[in-house]
Amino acid sequence: MSGPALIISFFVLAVASVASALGVILFRNAVYSALSLILTLLFLAMFYLQLGAMFIAIVQILIYAGAIMVLFLFVVTMLAADPRDPDLQDRLPWQRGVAAVLGLVLVGALSYLLLSGTPLNEAARAHGSEALSQVVAQQGNIQAFGQALFHGFSFAFEVTSLVIVVAILGALVLGRKA
Amino acid sequence: MTTIPVSWYLIVSALLFTIGTIGVLVRRNPLIIFMSIELMLNAVNLAFVTLSSYLDSADGQIFVFIVLTVAAAEVVVGLAIIVSIFRTRRNIDVDEMNLLRG
Repeated sequence: MSGPALIISFFVLAVASVASALGVILFRNAVYSALSLILTLLFLAMFYLQLGAMFIAIVQILIYAGAIMVLFLFVVTMLAADPRDPDLQDRLPWQRGVAAVLGLVLVGALSYLLLSGTPLNEAARAHGSEALSQVVAQQGNIQAFGQALFHGFSFAFEVTSLVIVVAILGALVLGRKA
Repeated sequence: MTTIPVSWYLIVSALLFTIGTIGVLVRRNPLIIFMSIELMLNAVNLAFVTLSSYLDSADGQIFVFIVLTVAAAEVVVGLAIIVSIFRTRRNIDVDEMNLLRG
């Protein structure tokens, strides 16, 4: 895919992902918000495919849109029994306007910085055998990812397992009947 | 490889991050606040993948992988906390949670 098709698909994905992200914070019903977030995550996975990060796209769909969001939906359906919607009576009604103004400031500042900041240094690009596209062309996408993970970041990868064990133990402790 | 300027992707990422921030500020259902935090994490992931593709280096993708793991752990613990708060208080409104003790 190249040229106009790429640009059209970028804009379709950009509009769709921003619209579904707005759905997350605008829907009153938490189930709709969760479904909208799943849509956003799927659109982001398509962005990743467009950027050539296939492994990340697949992991995004499997883990985020699959596992994490199923967990979310379970909890939403478990807690939705509460008849009164917490968003109906607002104690601090002025905070919506403040939040909108602060959001506009944030998006303006981020866009200004991203558009006017120093262009990325050409020297920062990886070259030769270090370059991702080289390894992908020679060995394939997932092999390139695995090589980078286990050659440069194997300690971080091991620490990741510790994080998961701590999370499992924490959930067990919190979920026990008091 | 790609003909799309890198700043376009970064602006989409900035928009998603801002939407997540506004969600955290405005909504008072902790589940939706959690979803907004996930949205912010994903916006940052998009920036990581974009720069990884632009700089032709796999490092950004590995950061995304680590962020994904931490996000999964955070969701597990956070949802467990919300469920246990719901068990003791019978309602989940962040404005009414102003005590650290149960």
